[in-house]
Amino acid sequence: MMVRIFFLSLVIVISFSCRNRSTNSSEFVFPEADSIPLSEAEKLSPEAIEDIAKNISSPVEIANLLQMLEVPFSQEYLAASVDANKESTNFNKAMKLGILGADLGYLNMYEKTGSSLDLLSSIRKLAEDIRVGQFFDFETIKRLSQNKSNLDSLLFLSIDSYEQIDSYLRTNDRGHLSALMIIGVWIEGQYLATQVVSKYPDKILRDRIGEQKIILNDLLLLIAPYCNNSQEFTSLCNDLYELKNRYRDIRISYTQGEPVASEKEGGLVITQTETSVVEMTEEQLNGLIEITSEIRNRLILNN
Amino acid sequence: MKRIFITISLLLSLGFLLTGQSTDPLVSNCVMNAGSDAKYLKDFRIQLGKATGQSELRYKTNMSLWKNTKYRFTMCSTEDSKGKLILNIKDDANKVILSSYDKNTGKTYPFVDFVCNKSGIYQLNYDFTEGQQGSGVGVVSMVK
Repeated sequence: MMVRIFFLSLVIVISFSCRNRSTNSSEFVFPEADSIPLSEAEKLSPEAIEDIAKNISSPVEIANLLQMLEVPFSQEYLAASVDANKESTNFNKAMKLGILGADLGYLNMYEKTGSSLDLLSSIRKLAEDIRVGQFFDFETIKRLSQNKSNLDSLLFLSIDSYEQIDSYLRTNDRGHLSALMIIGVWIEGQYLATQVVSKYPDKILRDRIGEQKIILNDLLLLIAPYCNNSQEFTSLCNDLYELKNRYRDIRISYTQGEPVASEKEGGLVITQTETSVVEMTEEQLNGLIEITSEIRNRLILNN
Repeated sequence: MKRIFITISLLLSLGFLLTGQSTDPLVSNCVMNAGSDAKYLKDFRIQLGKATGQSELRYKTNMSLWKNTKYRFTMCSTEDSKGKLILNIKDDANKVILSSYDKNTGKTYPFVDFVCNKSGIYQLNYDFTEGQQGSGVGVVSMVK
């Protein structure tokens, strides 16, 4: 009897011991539930939330990918219609801070830093409005942008400013604004990628879009505790759940392999032979392009 | 006159305190030394005391890494650190996919280039050699 109870307990513990994300050995799948139970999202510790916030890839990576694919720079992808002086709610300000942060990353990576001054002013205004302006070293970033001489310093300061803002918001009971900023960055990066893939249907870019499924659940975990805060939050949550639905049938599978190591110039080079494979139809991709554009443009226009 | 001088001094001090920016020279040097072909992505600042008998690396953080990207992980330690900053990275199956420290030879690499072909969330683990006390920064860059 005791042996049966022991094995039953073991089965129960193993079943519930995994975190929300579930990855079997060969495929990434969303957890079973269609929506994140609020109680589960609220249980996340500050450390878990910080981990999730850091997981979300930087827009600089998308821009880096586009450069690698030799996609020409285009101003038309940027959120030029955002007027920082007209944003009225903290929701809109934090969201736009994220969106414009992604645009700044794009401009910096393409070294179009001379065009970034208006954007920097908008970012400064938005940051000051939500009382995190002290973390954005506007004058130094502006000077580096104008000099065009030190891209690394510019990237470092820009990214570091955003990370300080995010950390400050989370540790000062303003996690809802941090979540909005992070989602804004991600949405704008996703918009950039989906708009470019419409014109330059590169497989690497398609795969990167498909692979965003991996972190989409984390985005939902970040925002779930706030979905009932206001109509704006509810609308955003609904948008993200709809996006999750569009990703549901996109498959990501994995092949196994051992890494290959070599030494070069005093360092180590590791080449991964494991791969991730994205299976996504043209129709599924078009669905993502469409919904991303809808969500992003609605957020830009505050609708 | 004395009051004016004190007031101005206080205001200037307050101005410096409120700046909210401190560019740590260790961080900025490590970023600059990542290489001319590297573009800054992220950094992790690590400060640890002497370990008490643990074998796992103590500073843990997660990061998404994407296929078709070459990352450079650069490790920089302060001069007064007793050990050198080391890194290993595990995938979501808890498998070590790279380590900047060779346990067999005791060799530490100041940087590791990782050619990523499998997108996912990876766990970055940092510590100082032999669990020593140390202060350092791990910089993550993208390399062409």
